[in-house]
Amino acid sequence: MSEMANTDPEGIDGVRMTWNLWPRTKVEASKCVIPLAACISPIRHHPDIPTLPYVPLRCKTCSAILNAFATVDFTAKIWICPFCFQRNHFPPHYTMISATNLPAELYPQYTTVQYTLPNPNLNPNNPIHPDAAHPPSSPSPVFVFVLDTCMIEEEFGFVKSALKRAIGLLPDNALVGFVTFGTQAHVHELGFSDMSKVYVFKGNKEISKDQIIEQLGLGVPGRRLPAGYQQQKVMQNGVPDLGVTRFLLPASDCEYTLNSLLDELQTDQWPVSPGTRALRCTGVALSVAAGLLGACMPGTGARIIALVGGPCTEGPGTIVSKDLSDPVRSHKDLDKDAAPYFKKAVKFYDSLAKQLVNQGHVLDLFASALDQVGVAEMKVAVERTGGLVVLSESFGHSVFKDSFKRVFEDGEQALGLCFNGALEINCSKDIKIQGVIGPCSSLEKKGPNVSDTVIGEGNTTTWKICGLDKSTCLTVFFDLSSSERSNTPGTANAQLYIQFLTSCQNPEGHTLLRVTTITRRWIDSAVSTEELVQGFDQETAAVVMARLASLKMEIEEGFDATRWLDRNLIRVCSKFGEYRKDDPSSFTLNPCFSLFPQFMFNLRRSQFVQVFNNSPDETAYFRTLLNRENITNAAVMIQPSLISYSFNSLPQPALLDVASIAADRILLLDSYFSVVVFHGMTIAQWRNMGYQNQPEHQAFAQLLQAPQDDAAMIIRDRFPVPRLVVCDQHGSQARFLLAKLNPSATYNNAPEMAAGSDVIFTDDVSLQVFFEHLQRLAVQS
Amino acid sequence: LDSKALPRPLDGDVESSSLGEAYSMNCSPRYVRLTTSAIPSSQSLASRWHLPLGAVVCPLAEAPDGKEVPVINFVKTGIIRCRRCRTYVNPYVAFTDAGRKWRCNICSLLNDVPSEYFAHLDATGRRVDLDERPELTQGSVEFVAPTEYMVRPPMPPLYFFLIDVSISAVRSGMIEVVAQTIKSCLDDLPGFPRTQIGFITYDSTIHFYNMKSSLTQPQMMVVSDLDDIFIPLPDDLLVNLSESRSVVDAFLDSLPSMFHENMNVESAFGPALKSAFMVMSQLGGKLLIFQNTMPSLGVGRLKLRGDDARIYGTDKEFALRVPEDPFYKQTAADFTKYQIGVNVYAFSDKYTDIASLGTLAKYTGGQVYYYPSFQSAIHGEKLRHELTRDLTRETAWEAVMRIRCGKGIRFTSYHGNFMLRSTDLLALPAVDCDKAYAMQLSLEETLLTTQTVYFQVALLYTASCGERRIRVHTAAAPVVAELGEMYRQADTGAIVSLFSRLAIEKTLSHKLEDARSSVQLRIVKALREYRNLYAMQHRLGGRMIYPESLKCLPLYGLALCKSAPLRGGYADVQLDERCAAGFTMMALPVKKLLKLLYPSLIRLDDCLLKASVLSDDIKNISNRLPLTAESLDSRGLYLYDDGFRFVVWFGRMLSPDVAMNLLGPDAAAELSRVALREQDTEMSRKLMGILKKIRENDPSYYQPSHLVRQGEQPREGFLLLTNLLEDQIGGTSG
Ligand SMILES: [Zn+2]
Ligand SMILES: [Zn+2]
Repeated sequence: MSEMANTDPEGIDGVRMTWNLWPRTKVEASKCVIPLAACISPIRHHPDIPTLPYVPLRCKTCSAILNAFATVDFTAKIWICPFCFQRNHFPPHYTMISATNLPAELYPQYTTVQYTLPNPNLNPNNPIHPDAAHPPSSPSPVFVFVLDTCMIEEEFGFVKSALKRAIGLLPDNALVGFVTFGTQAHVHELGFSDMSKVYVFKGNKEISKDQIIEQLGLGVPGRRLPAGYQQQKVMQNGVPDLGVTRFLLPASDCEYTLNSLLDELQTDQWPVSPGTRALRCTGVALSVAAGLLGACMPGTGARIIALVGGPCTEGPGTIVSKDLSDPVRSHKDLDKDAAPYFKKAVKFYDSLAKQLVNQGHVLDLFASALDQVGVAEMKVAVERTGGLVVLSESFGHSVFKDSFKRVFEDGEQALGLCFNGALEINCSKDIKIQGVIGPCSSLEKKGPNVSDTVIGEGNTTTWKICGLDKSTCLTVFFDLSSSERSNTPGTANAQLYIQFLTSCQNPEGHTLLRVTTITRRWIDSAVSTEELVQGFDQETAAVVMARLASLKMEIEEGFDATRWLDRNLIRVCSKFGEYRKDDPSSFTLNPCFSLFPQFMFNLRRSQFVQVFNNSPDETAYFRTLLNRENITNAAVMIQPSLISYSFNSLPQPALLDVASIAADRILLLDSYFSVVVFHGMTIAQWRNMGYQNQPEHQAFAQLLQAPQDDAAMIIRDRFPVPRLVVCDQHGSQARFLLAKLNPSATYNNAPEMAAGSDVIFTDDVSLQVFFEHLQRLAVQS
Repeated sequence: LDSKALPRPLDGDVESSSLGEAYSMNCSPRYVRLTTSAIPSSQSLASRWHLPLGAVVCPLAEAPDGKEVPVINFVKTGIIRCRRCRTYVNPYVAFTDAGRKWRCNICSLLNDVPSEYFAHLDATGRRVDLDERPELTQGSVEFVAPTEYMVRPPMPPLYFFLIDVSISAVRSGMIEVVAQTIKSCLDDLPGFPRTQIGFITYDSTIHFYNMKSSLTQPQMMVVSDLDDIFIPLPDDLLVNLSESRSVVDAFLDSLPSMFHENMNVESAFGPALKSAFMVMSQLGGKLLIFQNTMPSLGVGRLKLRGDDARIYGTDKEFALRVPEDPFYKQTAADFTKYQIGVNVYAFSDKYTDIASLGTLAKYTGGQVYYYPSFQSAIHGEKLRHELTRDLTRETAWEAVMRIRCGKGIRFTSYHGNFMLRSTDLLALPAVDCDKAYAMQLSLEETLLTTQTVYFQVALLYTASCGERRIRVHTAAAPVVAELGEMYRQADTGAIVSLFSRLAIEKTLSHKLEDARSSVQLRIVKALREYRNLYAMQHRLGGRMIYPESLKCLPLYGLALCKSAPLRGGYADVQLDERCAAGFTMMALPVKKLLKLLYPSLIRLDDCLLKASVLSDDIKNISNRLPLTAESLDSRGLYLYDDGFRFVVWFGRMLSPDVAMNLLGPDAAAELSRVALREQDTEMSRKLMGILKKIRENDPSYYQPSHLVRQGEQPREGFLLLTNLLEDQIGGTSG
């Protein structure tokens, strides 16, 4: 728990690396076992980041942006690019610079700066006016809601009221579109004033983008013109932008329409025969929403917000047959290749992802159902577009309700949703980029810094991030050039540089460019690993290993994550541990590594590796969040935090071990997806007797309240909102805690236990046994 | 042939009633008319007749008050029918064996009388209960059918509207008139409270309407996938009118405005038709199509035909009068199979291929209403009236009709708007009083041995009230051995009806000229035969002689050849107009057809000036004049009426007072721009009264008034002069 002291390990740059000192050669790097990787939070808020209202200077050779590490010749008005050593002249408006008169980007402490760029799309002669048609590239954020109508009335009521509340929270200028689906997909023409009007698409038929555009009447004017449209609106600025006024309306204009529409909206009217699932054409509905946005709003920030209450059973994206006796695929089915719909559905969502990325649009998925809905298949489209995903059991559950509300809230609680982003990475010559794990999509922009080996979204130095927010995190994997010559000590620079350029459209419609330039020192590790060890960030390394293992589990057939993690851990310990060969008792680890084995122990037991305890949907959900959250949050997902509350002491971290359970303690477990308040037996009894309500037991009341307050604080700051479980020792809900604890006491060794503690029914090895094995294997010659 | 020498049908249609006492129990001729009420006893005799031998049946003809067809409930006893030939019990069956048996008049089989139907016979052999048994005393009765006459529960009356909303439909004002008219008829649609209703509109896309009764307003659902049409809702596209009344009202109120600014020029008619079929096929019903634009998208799209003058007069000419795309006939067949009757309302100002569109009505027992270049200001009243009539007239649903006849003769062909379900069963998804069917018969055996031949028409249908019923018309006719008797008993109206249908059918496979000459040839042959028959006896030399019954046949024949479906050549009638007239005439009852062929021309100025003549007194003023320019006095005011429109002709020398009285300040204007409306004068009120009275006499179509002043050319020419068929100019190549 050393990280608890350092509350902001990412600093102004929002960058954490597995290694903060880099070995010189590819060979040395591979001996480090843990890959060279940087986890970046590209638009994370930090009060010290200056905002510069002008266009940055770019190196004329490598197009890196002028930064604090550039060497500046003030007399010659020249700056030398730290990446390619190109000498660049300052333009005329920089003539005033001197050692004492620096632009902010050259201040040494401003390794991260943010530029606000004039919006190229905003035409000052055409101000947004609620009555006028919006220009096709209006910077207003666009929200297309895609609502499932195959639900029981109760759920439908929940989701409708959530939707109404969301619409009420939207900024007035936000454009809103509405699609509903069941057996068929309906696009609502919100701008049609005479009556409620929908365009209907068949649910069981794949439909191309061109067909969607044509059938919505958004094609070339003159031929297939839609019913009831007005000629005057055809040629606004010479551009047909009918779609905007017909299908996408400012929230302030359509709130009433949408509310009454939702009031009259019925669940899917097509009959469902007994023994079958409802016909639900999720794939067609999303295609249609994407087609609509593609026609109306290409290249401007827009989100498709899908609210899904069950599996797709019709048309493209189908994940399960209509027959209720066929269960939705499990991990076992996927393993045995016995999921007949899976690959086809993933392929469909993969192409949808491509289309959305092309258009710069986001897919958000809010799935609420007791059974699976196909998150595993849809993940590719959500993740590649930087979408949000929230999985819950019901639209009435706080996990959905409160998360959904957060998406639309502004102020301090705002997620800071940005649109249409892009990430570009520049780095020193010998560094190769293998790829990125996280919510983005490769733009396949090749360059000298692109590695041949690919991890995640690779083959590029730029990525599209259609949707990102202040918590978005990406993991960049690096490799080193295999050429020995340039790495010869002495001839090369002592420092390496990496620059992250992130551009995006913020909620107000402005275009931002965040520039983070970092430097690290090269180390000649062939001589000694001593120095290298000091630069190891074990928490980041654990998260990176978790992300890499998850990725491999998804894409490598027959990949055994446990073995792979074990092997790597043993290699790490062999390489960086201190021991006498073949003497396990002599084994010690440097403090920089000491927490790493425990992380690996918990990772092995986590939902990321033990997938068979969950559905593929849950696994996909967990992985998506693992990949997009910052290191601290991701670490909690792997290794939950446990805090103990008792009369005798202040709240304190407790070992993630069954031994931490005691009758007179309250435990607060944060495993990211759920927050558990666990009352020891005695505490629960007192509470049931109502002691907390008696004035003389005020201390007890405070003890009861403290973990609740802390839980509320965790929940408040987290998206998606975690599930809160309040339970008592031996209660049925206690499993939420027990599943996460180290089984130091199991039924195998129960007699040794102290009274009032607990026992976990498992065959898993305990941490202690794990360590013993590890030490033995690490020291083996 | 000098037409002016021919006897003229100035008294209109005269129903023959010469058969007398022996056949007094025959059904009224308004239901069944034979071309001759004397059936030839031999094939050789029949072959000398030359005129068509057959019948015209109008099974639901409107009956005057007090003469309604009695409804008999046989549900308890079961309907009494001949065991062998399925003939319904009728006044001509004979009870024998003390009332225990009855002999079928058609096939002579002796049937048992079921005990529930048994009655003793009196001394003369009459059943004692005869006075309580209309089926044994009247030629027309209607039985309430028990469940064995149903293959499914009787359907509710169902009206489905398919409305073009493309730019031309909007601009012409059609949509507005249609919406208003439908709304005004909602209270009068037959079948309350079971009546169902639904709507589809279309341009380049198909628009369905969810009319669920719980909605506050309808929901419009657009389907644009024309290649793969589907319906967007399982229910509620067709709704119970009384339950969803407020939603239907809301829809009709907003229909004109919601497409007010539609600029769409396309028509996905075929896909729209398929959509309507999908919605209706569960129940069947009546589909009313309002089509303003040539179908241009999707299945059934049509192309411009008939603008190539070179094809006229060739053997391929007829192809323009039949649909080119089999889609239309196939769709019509599907409609009929699912009990859907189609009425086509066509409005275009350009060619829309009525030949193809009309096929839908033709094979589903429907009707074509054609309003070329529709403008609501001009044609709105006609559309309003005719649509109202269509929606509110009593309609028989999911019907089939069969005509049986005695041994030795057989019906061989059927002519009109319907589809044959089997060799002698006419499928009529929706039928009403304005529809008539013609059929030809022939002798199966060389000689007929019976004295009398019986005919029985049976129409099995669902009444709007939900009862399944069988309407039965029975008639008898003597068998004769003399040609002269056949001629004496001939019915010109029935003959002209059959001739018209045969000739129009012939235009669908031959040149117009061939169709005309075949009519003329048969009339000439018949008259020659008749002359041969009597010239010998009476030594009449070269003079033309006619039997009294057929005296107007030559002129009607001429009129038929000058009618829109047959007249002239390429330039004489627009192709669409010709086809539309053909479809209309194929369904017309006898009276209406004769009026169309030989319209009435009456002089009005005298009676308008005479205070003593009341406008109610139609008999007194309807002194019909020969259709020749000589009938027109330039000091007079004339009314020409063909049953479909009025032409009011103002003589050049007509007293300006009359014009002022009738037209007010418009009297001096060019009359093409003037609409006839009531002025605040006695004379104007009287004229309007007369016109109203004439219209009321025949409500099946509405006659809008066209005004023309003598000498206003070319208007006077095409409105009136070409229609004066006795003149050389009337129908160029007459
Ligand atoms: Zn450079
Ligand atoms: Zn019989």
